[in-house]
This record gives sequence, structure tokens and C-alpha cells, in this order.
Amino acid sequence: METGRRPRGTLEQEVVAALAASARSMTPAEVRDQLGADLAYTTVMTVLARLSEKGLVTRKRVGRAYAYTAIRDEAELTARQMQKLLDAGDDRAAVLSRFVGTLTDEDERLLVDLLHHAEGDDQP
Amino acid sequence: MTVPLLITLSVMLTFALVGPLLARGLPPAVATRLLVPASLVVGVCAAWALLIVGFTWVAQLGPVSRYGDWSPEQLRQDTPFPTIIAVGCGLVAVGSVTQASVVGTRRIRRMLAVRHACGPLGEPGSLVVLDDDRPDAFATPGAGGRIVVTTGLLRALTAAERRALIAHEKAHLTHRHAWWLLATEVAAAANPLLRPTAAAIEHAVERWADEDAAREVTDRRLVARTLARTALLTRAATVPATGLAAAGGDVPCRVRALLAPPPRPRILPLTVLLALLTTCTVAAGTVQHRGDQLLDRAGATPTGEPPIHHHRHHLP
Repeated sequence: METGRRPRGTLEQEVVAALAASARSMTPAEVRDQLGADLAYTTVMTVLARLSEKGLVTRKRVGRAYAYTAIRDEAELTARQMQKLLDAGDDRAAVLSRFVGTLTDEDERLLVDLLHHAEGDDQP
Repeated sequence: MTVPLLITLSVMLTFALVGPLLARGLPPAVATRLLVPASLVVGVCAAWALLIVGFTWVAQLGPVSRYGDWSPEQLRQDTPFPTIIAVGCGLVAVGSVTQASVVGTRRIRRMLAVRHACGPLGEPGSLVVLDDDRPDAFATPGAGGRIVVTTGLLRALTAAERRALIAHEKAHLTHRHAWWLLATEVAAAANPLLRPTAAAIEHAVERWADEDAAREVTDRRLVARTLARTALLTRAATVPATGLAAAGGDVPCRVRALLAPPPRPRILPLTVLLALLTTCTVAAGTVQHRGDQLLDRAGATPTGEPPIHHHRHHLP
């Protein structure tokens, strides 16, 4: 599949997301395999080094390479408070843009159909 | 003066009725960029015209007429509006302006509060991962806002889907969607008739971010699948539904739009919009002009005093 070029900064976020989604630490090769073969190994290395400098990921030596893990810090307390506002249907949360809204039963049924349709068409 | 007032109000009504249709007939970015200012213009024109009609009564009051140097009797005789109509129009206009300021101020204050709270959350525009099993994702307001995603959602999505999700939230930040939504809410607060249009604009803003994400990952179907899967995952995790009115609504509609080809700009909605805006502005301008003339006439023949120099009195 052809993938578009990533704007600056987006790759960093994708790498953080990949590390956060993983149950264990990942080597640069594993990160690259997940994000797409169009990325150069050195690009992934550079991004990981930069994230490490910023203190967003930690690394430990595994054999000849480093393995990286995402760091969670106390700053997420704020994010959690905002999420609580969203969950409570708090009026103050109106300034936050949620990715998906809540679904009705009808919406759910429709979405399952649409998803089948979308995935069915994906088959060659 | 009655005719331009009625024209202004009927254009406002027409816009309120066709606004949602126009929003659907245009590509979402174009719809947002045009309909938000259009709502504001139409709202301001209607409020301004009503304010001027209200002023034809206020101008008859003793102190005001002395200050403006015009004759209240002459004005009472000349004005086409009965007191009750003029007072009603004035009250509606004042109420509309008040409501808009209250809602606008409250929303700006909230945006600033969230922005302030974001201080310790990484650097501006960064991704904040929330260690939580429930799938959820949202963006905080402003170009330097943060993208917050839970580990629950990150784990459930593939790398490609995560990329689509990040691209969508990033679009909210890059295009400063919070400010467009603020303007929309102010317009709807000033004029409740514009609420359906405001809802259509909110939907267009989400679609705008979807289209942006589709362009970045060059795969509309991937974005559609990410949306559908996230919505279903979120639903599964939050049963029983709390019934809250959340943003990012009407997911099936967004998914369907992504499964269809990208929208193209069309001439008809643009023409309709342009015609409405021109008529509204000209009509509201005419109301003001007639109001000026009314006061000029009343000022040119002050009762019981020798005529003074003819000069125009302008409305506030």
C-alpha cells in the first residue's frame, strides 16, 4: 500500500503510540516493521534518539541494540481529569474535540454493516 | 424602513433554513470556512437592523432626543413602527447581543483554562498517552493543543489505524478548529434560529479533520475503518451508555462519507450563499440608512425652535 509522506512531528507521535501500545519494549527494527516499510531504519533510529533525549521514552540495551519503552508521567493526571469531564458529559468539556461521539443502537447496527462492507471490499 | 427590515429578517430565516443543506452540499473545509463567517454576518445584520428599529423608539425619549437634538413629536409621527414593535425589536437585539457575549466569554474562558491546564502535558502539539483500558481519544483546543489517547485504544488499533487517528486529531490542532467552533457557538447563541446550521457546521468540522486524515494517509477506507472500529470499541466499553451529548457525533454519516469519493466544490450552494449574504448586508444597510433619514427629518424641523443647521445625525 502506498503511504503519504508524514509531516514533521507526526512520525514522533506514531512512534510514541506504537511503544505505548506495546506490552514490552521494542527495538528500532520492530518499530519500523510496524510503522511501514517505507521508513528508513536510520529515520526510526533518529526519532527514537530524539524522543529519548526529550525523556519521552527510556531505553535499555538488549544484545547489540537498544530496546525502547514509552514513559508515563504524572502529567497524565491533567489529561485524565479532562477525560473525566468528557465522561460526565460536563459542559466544560465542550472545548475538547473527541474522536468519536456516542452511538445509538441504530448507529451501532449501521456501523457494523459499514465496517463489513469496508473490510469486505478490501479483499482482493 | 419596514421593507428592508422584513427583507433582512427573511434572508436570515432563509439562511437558517438552508444553512444545513449548504453545509452538506460543500466540501467540509469550504463549508466551515464559508458558513461560520456567513452565520456571523447574517446574525449581526439581523441584530443590527432590529437594534435600529428599537432605536427609533429610544430616540423619542426625552433625554435622548435632547442629546440628539431632534424632535420626538416629529419622530413619533414619521416612524413606521408602533411602539410595541420598536420596543420588541430593541429587546430582541439587546438580548441577542447579551447572550452572544455571555456564551462567547464563557467558552473563551474554558478554552484558556484547558490551555493553562495543558502546561505540564508535554510540549505543544504532542501526543499524550493516558494509561487507561477504556478506548478514548480527544484533542484539546488551539494550535498548540495536545492529542490525548488511551492505551486501551492504542492497543486495539493497528499501526496504520493509529496513524489515521493521530492525523485526524492533528488536523483539529493545525486548523485551529476550536476557534471555528467558538464562532459557531456565538452565532447560535446570538440567534437560536441558527442552531441547526451550527450543528451542521460542527459536523463539517469533524468531516474536515476526517478528510485531512484521509489525504495524509492516502487511504479513505483506512480512516473510515478506524472511525468505525473506534466508535464500536468505545461503545462496547461504555455500556450502559451514559447518554451524554459528545462531540465527534454522527459517526455512521462520517464513515459513509469516507467510503464515498472525496467531495467536490459545487457552484449552486456557493451562489445561493453569496446571494443571501449580499441581500442581507444591503437590506440591513438600507434599514440603517432609512433610520438615519428619519432622524435627519426630525432634526431638521425641531418644534418650537428656529431651524438650526442641517446636519446628519448618525446612529450609534
